[in-house]
Amino acid sequence: MLDFNTLETIVFSILTLFMVGGSLVMITSKQTIFSAFGFLLAMIALGGMFALLNNRFLSIAQIMVSVGAIVILSMLTILTVNAKEENMPEEKNKFILISISAIIVSPFTFLLYKALTTLPEHFTKMQTINSKVIGSLLFSEWVLPFEILSILLMSAMLGAIIIAKDKLKGENS
Amino acid sequence: MSSSAITVVIISFTLGTLLALLTIPILVWMERRVASLIQDRIGPNRTNIFGFRLGGIVQSFADVVKLLLKEEYYPAHITTGRWLFMFAPIITFVAALLAFMAIPFADTLNINGEMLRVQPLPIDFGVFWYMAIGAVGVLGVIFGGWMSHNKYALLGAARAGSMVISYELPLGLSILSFIITYNTVDFNVMVHFQTGTALGFLPAWGIFIQPLASIILIIALFAETNRNPFTVAEGESEIVAGYMTEHTAMKFAMYFMGEYVAMNTASAVIITMVFGGYQLPYFATEDLLTHFSTFAVIIMIVLPLFIYGFIKWMQKNNRVKETLSSDGGRAFETRFFTIAFIVMGVVLEFILLYLAFISQSDLERSIYIAVVQVAIFVMKLMLFNLFFIIIRWTLPRFRYDQVQTLGWKYLLPLSLVNIFITAIVVVGASL
Repeated sequence: MLDFNTLETIVFSILTLFMVGGSLVMITSKQTIFSAFGFLLAMIALGGMFALLNNRFLSIAQIMVSVGAIVILSMLTILTVNAKEENMPEEKNKFILISISAIIVSPFTFLLYKALTTLPEHFTKMQTINSKVIGSLLFSEWVLPFEILSILLMSAMLGAIIIAKDKLKGENS
Repeated sequence: MSSSAITVVIISFTLGTLLALLTIPILVWMERRVASLIQDRIGPNRTNIFGFRLGGIVQSFADVVKLLLKEEYYPAHITTGRWLFMFAPIITFVAALLAFMAIPFADTLNINGEMLRVQPLPIDFGVFWYMAIGAVGVLGVIFGGWMSHNKYALLGAARAGSMVISYELPLGLSILSFIITYNTVDFNVMVHFQTGTALGFLPAWGIFIQPLASIILIIALFAETNRNPFTVAEGESEIVAGYMTEHTAMKFAMYFMGEYVAMNTASAVIITMVFGGYQLPYFATEDLLTHFSTFAVIIMIVLPLFIYGFIKWMQKNNRVKETLSSDGGRAFETRFFTIAFIVMGVVLEFILLYLAFISQSDLERSIYIAVVQVAIFVMKLMLFNLFFIIIRWTLPRFRYDQVQTLGWKYLLPLSLVNIFITAIVVVGASL
């Protein structure tokens, strides 16, 4: 008979497998569609991780934002660009370069690991989703990060419009 | 967890699965018969099993058997990623099926002090669940269209993607104004909010409280299900079959069935958020429980009338011209169903008689009310599915740029204005 902890470990391992595998596929695959699929897998697995930490709001929000918005938008971008395999630059030593860079950033990875392992104790448990609580938290305690994020998004949008506009002008002249 | 809790969970899960999957053949049949009605022809009514035609529903099962036995064909130009080509229809189908699982089919049952939800997934954030899982469905469309390596399929996928970004925002914003009004993200509490009356005489349904948001929600959900007038991704008069041009046999059937499951899910969401869910208009569950005897007597009078009318209708319609020598077993089918319906009616009458006058158990009564609520839910669901189907066969399709114009230029500002007004009214009412 499985006890709860073993079950949790098994689910965690499966999710980790999907997450790491999806991220690797996203970086290494040559066809953009497989990158998108790997990204999708990693994002859904991340949502599962939040669910495993007993935070329903974050896990649902993760799927809603990352899968429902980011993956679809990036796929739409790739579709519009129509990146073909033969147009991609040839990367001969791709895997060697990836492993070397992985070794180089390993101290940082270790730091990240240490930071993340202490995280679950500080993790807010949110069993139910109360829109009122989330709204008031967002507009009282977290109002500064919220506003900074909106400024960041605004500047990104403005940048995109300016880049697109310059290109249009160049084409006309 | 007690045994009653486990029983309720299993029953509601089975009910949800059956409601999602078993309605597919019925919906396909409904679609074809309504199309025939509108185009002035008869539609499928010949296929039978031992003479039983069920008015043509058997045709849908025959179609599924045909699709299962068809040759599995893969386009030769798909060299890598054949698994993703196969997996894409499954994403669409599973997303639609999972999104259906958050809908409550009846009010929360109180069994010996335990509050048990009649909901396949007993979660209290159903709206978020629907928004999160419902958006995954279009990924299957995009992946399938892209993996086909075909111009029509690629165009279909691109259209699906561009349509998603134009309707997702109005959809989310209209749902947001419902969340503000109902002050919850729980479907069940939303249904509770819609009991009673608004303005004195109307049932307090979402469509009367939030008319603008309701219309935007319905339009956006029509777009989400990829049905007419939003079939731009398929566009069979322009791009063959759009994203599913290269999909054959069961892979095509997955897309096809996924569309019907998505339609069913969208109807269920619209009913739950806008049309009072499983509730009878004007009457809350508590009213039905306190005045159970009156309620039971009314049903006891209405039920035989309904069955009588149905049998008469069946006897009038389920026959062939008198000049034909053989009727292909239709007389036998009519006789069989006449007897079956009479027996069913008598059994139901006796159960009602027992519950209304002999038994005084609250548990039995509340279970009976839950069954009635499931029946009401299914009735509303089918009515709204009929609405979906009638719309498909009466309206022409939008051009893909018209869909984007509608989404960005009309629905988005309207829903923003609606949120603004809703917030002012809600905050003003709470002051």
